[in-house]
Amino acid sequence: MSELILQTIVNSIYAASYMSLIAVGLVLIFGVMGVINFAHGELYMAGAYTVVALYSGLNLPFFVAVVVGMVFVGLLGLVMEYAFFRALRDNPLGGLIASIGFLLILQTVAVLGFGVRMAHIRPSTQEKIELFDGVLLTHQRLYVIVAAILLLTALYIFLRKTKFGWAMRACAQDTEAAALQGISLNQITRIAMFIGAGLAGVVGALTAPLVSPTPYMGHSIIVTAFIIIVVGGIGQLEGAVVAAILYAFVHTFVTTFFDGVVADMVGLVLMLLVLVVKPTGLFGANDRV
Amino acid sequence: MSDSKTTITVWIFALTLLAGLLVLPQLLSYSQREIAVFLIINVLLVVSYRLMTLTGEWSLGHVVIMGVGAYASALFSKRLGVPVPLSMFLGASTAGLTAVVLSFPLFRMKGFYFLIGSFAAGEVIRLIWKYFTFPFGGAKGLNLIPSFPDIGWISFFDPVNYYYLCLIVVSVSLFILYRVERSRFGLTFHALHWQDKLAESVGVNTFRYRMLAFTLASFFAGLSGALYAHYIGTVNPTRFDVEEMVYVLIWAIVGGTATFYGPIVGVVALTIVNDVLLRALGFDTIRPMIYGAVLIASVLFMPDGLESIFPKLKRLMMGRKTEPATKSEAGEIP
Amino acid sequence: MTQPILEVCDLSRNFGGLLAVNQLSFSVIPGTIHGIIGPNGAGKTTTFNVISGFYAPSSGHVTYLGKDISGIRTDRLAEIGLIRTFQGTTLFNEFSVIDNVRLGCHVSAKSGFLSRLLGADRESEAVATKKAEDLLAFFNLSDLRDEEASNLPHGHQRALGMAVALAADPKILLLDEPFTGMNPEETARMMTLTRDIRDRGITVMLVEHDMQAVMGLCDMITVMNFGSLLTEGTPKEVRTNPGVIEAYLGSAHHAS
Ligand SMILES: Nc1ncnc2c1ncn2[C@@H]1O[C@H](COP(=O)(O)OP(=O)(O)OP(=O)(O)O)[C@@H](O)[C@H]1O
Ligand SMILES: [Mg+2]
Repeated sequence: MSELILQTIVNSIYAASYMSLIAVGLVLIFGVMGVINFAHGELYMAGAYTVVALYSGLNLPFFVAVVVGMVFVGLLGLVMEYAFFRALRDNPLGGLIASIGFLLILQTVAVLGFGVRMAHIRPSTQEKIELFDGVLLTHQRLYVIVAAILLLTALYIFLRKTKFGWAMRACAQDTEAAALQGISLNQITRIAMFIGAGLAGVVGALTAPLVSPTPYMGHSIIVTAFIIIVVGGIGQLEGAVVAAILYAFVHTFVTTFFDGVVADMVGLVLMLLVLVVKPTGLFGANDRV
Repeated sequence: MSDSKTTITVWIFALTLLAGLLVLPQLLSYSQREIAVFLIINVLLVVSYRLMTLTGEWSLGHVVIMGVGAYASALFSKRLGVPVPLSMFLGASTAGLTAVVLSFPLFRMKGFYFLIGSFAAGEVIRLIWKYFTFPFGGAKGLNLIPSFPDIGWISFFDPVNYYYLCLIVVSVSLFILYRVERSRFGLTFHALHWQDKLAESVGVNTFRYRMLAFTLASFFAGLSGALYAHYIGTVNPTRFDVEEMVYVLIWAIVGGTATFYGPIVGVVALTIVNDVLLRALGFDTIRPMIYGAVLIASVLFMPDGLESIFPKLKRLMMGRKTEPATKSEAGEIP
Repeated sequence: MTQPILEVCDLSRNFGGLLAVNQLSFSVIPGTIHGIIGPNGAGKTTTFNVISGFYAPSSGHVTYLGKDISGIRTDRLAEIGLIRTFQGTTLFNEFSVIDNVRLGCHVSAKSGFLSRLLGADRESEAVATKKAEDLLAFFNLSDLRDEEASNLPHGHQRALGMAVALAADPKILLLDEPFTGMNPEETARMMTLTRDIRDRGITVMLVEHDMQAVMGLCDMITVMNFGSLLTEGTPKEVRTNPGVIEAYLGSAHHAS
């Protein structure tokens, strides 16, 4: 029994890792654009298919495929910024709808390029660590955990210590004030879009051997990400990470000890409860009259 | 233009439209007749959705509420033997009642939080359908739902007859929704959207009015679901998932929500593009892509929706420049 | 002495660590114009927000018509005649001028769902429209009846805001800086109208920075500073109170 619990904790840590990367990317984009990127799940899907193409298809080394996936999806983010987000900056609903349009396009491209069937990818490594008696962590999953720690730390340092990071935070708090400071809004937006999208891409790429990509894999991930950013208080990076960890543990444990449908239900009900008690999320600000 | 003249124009327009709708099925192929049935049902769905958006809140649960009507009506008729016309009404009422209950948690939230809250509530309902095989049939859903009983020699198995039935039900529903909007209720809903604090300060119970809009919208969404269920004979959780909701959003936004007719224009135009043109061209796989491109183009280049074309056309036809339409015209039929 | 229409008793409201209103007490005599003044950030708007039910008090209570109303919802208070206006210009910008005031008639134009659907509310709606038109005439806005509210010049918008409030049949009317942004003639006219409102038997509470207007209008003035009561009295008493002069010299630009 204690083995099962320990194993579930390990699984939860893995889930928390990829969920927080996805959610942080979404929050970052929201921060600078004021728009919820509905296509975020499809960016994740694009990352996974980069690995399908380069690693499975062209037999390039796994990590090369992952890095290319991250950059490629980051560029997709720039495409979105250029094509519509910029024009729709103060129009949250318009931005949401446009990103839904982009989601449909990405899905279709994936269907045309790879078909609707699941793509099975051979693992890049068979190795695993035995943490305790019978408690296993595959290297494939370890990569995701390590990537989350490294990338989130790097992002934290970038946001706190560099001029751009500082500007980006200023911009997320108050676009007008930031503009008054003489910060080039467009440049900041582009950097945030690149990073936000790239994070989704790298998660898709790293988890591709673990999940068997399909063109529609983005759907469930975006639902999860929404729950997380709402619980964390939209626009709160730290909140997103905390909420991701919380959600990952609850969801993984309920899945293990009951089943997946109940876990989804518990997650949603928890989120509703948080919203009922604090309608702007756990870490969100209160509004004033 | 004088008021009475406007009224006459509206009547002529309405009668022509009605005549057109009456002969329409005769001009269509069998599969197109089926599309016409669904189109009429979707018109009710999207117009009821717009009533909700008048208060400024955008829900992502509307299709699930439609599903509540569908499931409830199916269960009432199938498991309890309630006659179908009555079960449809009961189904719609169940959907309305669901909205009453959901109002309590959901209207603590606003804007994006409401959007997500309504989405979560909808997903919880869908998971309940999925999880409880009794009475909801689990992931496979319900089938062999009783169909609408024959009236004399009229069988509603025939899409043409069902089309006429839907036409009647939907027309009456649209009339009610239109009356609601033109009454003080409509004014109050708009007021909640633009300045809920001011509305409150002159005595508007904002919660009650939000709940009223939500309940009415849900009742008619539920009715559209019931119409759907008894035609197609089967419902399942996937039919009412968020992707369907996205379509409703798209219809409403591409059509424009400032006027009553905007969403109708949206659903009709996009259904023709999607189900008739693209299907005829055999572009089945790339259909979503074209849809997506249309969507992006329409938010970028037509931010007020298709409805904004009509005042422009009217000005063109009248051959002179008049004041462009302003938002205060919201809710008026030209 | 007459029973006060509104009594504020040891009222406090804090936001996190900030005490916006601190142990404030005063009472308002019916049929008077009662001013509240104080430097920026003194807590005047917050006091209004608490009285009108937008915020719950942190402690203390508010009595209106002999009833404790602390914590009661804004719309319930509006139903029993306690109406406030907002500091910034707050209107239904997208509505026509007449629709703004018609919406203000919400309470008196109540009607059931079915009667609205069947058009049986025609009579009560006609009454509401008539009332709205009279109010527009009172504020000299009749010519702008069908104009969109957002297109009005600033002074007219302020007047419209008051018309909306009056449409709700106040017994007591709380005006938050009604004269800001008006030119001297407009201010003078609005002052006359405010007196007219009082003479119709409506008690008026007034927050205002325009000292001339306040001194000219008010029967009684409450002075706030840093959330607390500084002093209270007739315009004459307040004007000569050394504490008040000092508080205002602290923020010199209001002294004039
Ligand atoms: N919702 C809120 N959250 C936090 N602080 C608030 C809130 N509302 C008001 N305050 C603070 O309370 C204090 C009093 O504000 P208030 O608006 O009541 O002042 P005021 O007297 O109306 O000033 P002014 O003359 O500038 O209108 C201010 O310091 C303000 O920043
Ligand atoms: Mg103030």
